[in-house]
Amino acid sequence: MTEVAERLQVPWLTLSYADSITERGFKYTFQTSPVSSVQAEQALELVTELAKKNNRPIKKAAIVGDNTAATVFFFKPLREKLLAAKGIELVVDEVWTPPLADATAIAQKLRATQPDIVFYGATNFPDSIQVLQKVKEFSVKAPIQGVGAWLVTPEYVKTLGKEMLDSIQTVVATHPMKGQEEIVKRFTQRTGEPFMTQDPLCTYGHVWLIKEAIEQAKSADPKAIRDALAKIDVTSGPAATSFYPNRIKFDERGRRVGATPLIVQWQGGEPFTVVPTAVATRPVAWHK
Amino acid sequence: MVVAELAQYVATGLLVGGVYALMSIGLALIFGVMRVVNFAQGDFMMLGMYLTYFYALAGVDPLLGALLTIPPFFVLGWIVHRGLLARVTGGGDPQRQMDAQLILTPTPRGIRTAYATQAFTVGPILLNEARSYAFAMALVLAAALWLFLTRTDAGRALRAAADDPEAASYQGIDVRAMHGLAFGAGIALVAAAGGLLATYYPIEPSVAVNFIVLMFVAVVLGGLGSIPGAFVGGLVIGLVQSLTLLALPFQLQNTGVFIVFLLVLYLRPQGLFGRRARTV
Repeated sequence: MTEVAERLQVPWLTLSYADSITERGFKYTFQTSPVSSVQAEQALELVTELAKKNNRPIKKAAIVGDNTAATVFFFKPLREKLLAAKGIELVVDEVWTPPLADATAIAQKLRATQPDIVFYGATNFPDSIQVLQKVKEFSVKAPIQGVGAWLVTPEYVKTLGKEMLDSIQTVVATHPMKGQEEIVKRFTQRTGEPFMTQDPLCTYGHVWLIKEAIEQAKSADPKAIRDALAKIDVTSGPAATSFYPNRIKFDERGRRVGATPLIVQWQGGEPFTVVPTAVATRPVAWHK
Repeated sequence: MVVAELAQYVATGLLVGGVYALMSIGLALIFGVMRVVNFAQGDFMMLGMYLTYFYALAGVDPLLGALLTIPPFFVLGWIVHRGLLARVTGGGDPQRQMDAQLILTPTPRGIRTAYATQAFTVGPILLNEARSYAFAMALVLAAALWLFLTRTDAGRALRAAADDPEAASYQGIDVRAMHGLAFGAGIALVAAAGGLLATYYPIEPSVAVNFIVLMFVAVVLGGLGSIPGAFVGGLVIGLVQSLTLLALPFQLQNTGVFIVFLLVLYLRPQGLFGRRARTV
């Protein structure tokens, strides 16, 4: 889609995490999410700190997930340098092409190696459900750190139940933060969804961002809006507060400057922002 | 330890293969009798999963729900054969998936059962309860089909219609009715397989694409149109998928299946059961 938008010279706002989407020199693509490779570094930093604070330092890690673009870019730096730099041994590295026929072998390997954390990127719902069911069946106790908002959708709690999800966490581009209670309330009342997640919040922020760009461009012409987006720098209002940190400014590649992921954790059947603490809606509960 | 690990892979492969087998015999039955390659088979499986899901919402255990899909899907298959067969076999998968997404919505659904995450322990081997039940029921249904085909007049008539429709019609067998029976039974079996699958696998309108190729591989591997062949083909696929992981990474899980498939076709082009049981 971004290629079509580029050809037609229409600005395209994306919540995709994939590094490749803003590595092609496109002028009309703007990425509000932190890219996967950066997320990997930030997520590792966040979880190792959390683990240390809870007296469970991470010595062994597992990588389990599919080979879709965002996951690949997240796993690559972990596998190639980040884990080793922190002295963490990679004990399981299982990547597949969806769909996954069966997750027994993955659960077996996790049970045999007992990692201190599992970096988890199964973006295909049936695959992910299979893996989580098998992890429970094989009594694997390692904390699960997901990669993306696919792991915190209402379908998970309907299919697996809240007990199975408790304390599973994931890095996301955005999620309702402290101070956004009103928009969450309006969203749940209007849609009937049990909670708000990354995708609707991103879309909400993007719509407000387009409004800001149109006002700054004083025109609805796509090229003028693109130019306004390239120069925009907003730090307040619904657009800015939909992302963390609350600033929207794009670099020359179209990436949001300073974009930082959040950690969201399932607690009692609902996903809450737990890191960074400044915008957290619940304190983090480290895996027991 | 190595033996225990190998045994776990074999057990897992057989459990997975049991449901593949049930999916595949419905397809083999339809091809064996009608010589129709039913590309919509996976979509009927998907509908069977949804019906089991709706039964579960009404409080029916999904294992029982899987059995309860058989009568309505037999009737549906019969109606499709009589009135809509050409349309169903002529349409493409994307269209059927879009229809299903419009009606059922693309939101994935799952049936939450205690046995989906519990396992029987047999020495060092863990046998997932949902898959074990599904495997056992797949065996029972396959055996019931076999008894029907070999021990009843209707079954014999069906086999006669499959062997030689013209000669069968000279003997007073209504070949058209037999085609309806075969299509209805084939659809009912794959719907039941879908119901069993739904006890541990999430349901979504596009779920058929995850299985349809494996179904066809099982049927061709076993010998086109052979019921025992399709059953064994399904089991072989499950086993090979599982054992492939001992030697190859997850990304190549189905590579093992296709290597075995090509080897069998090269060494025995008629399939494993092709010579002895080319038809039902």
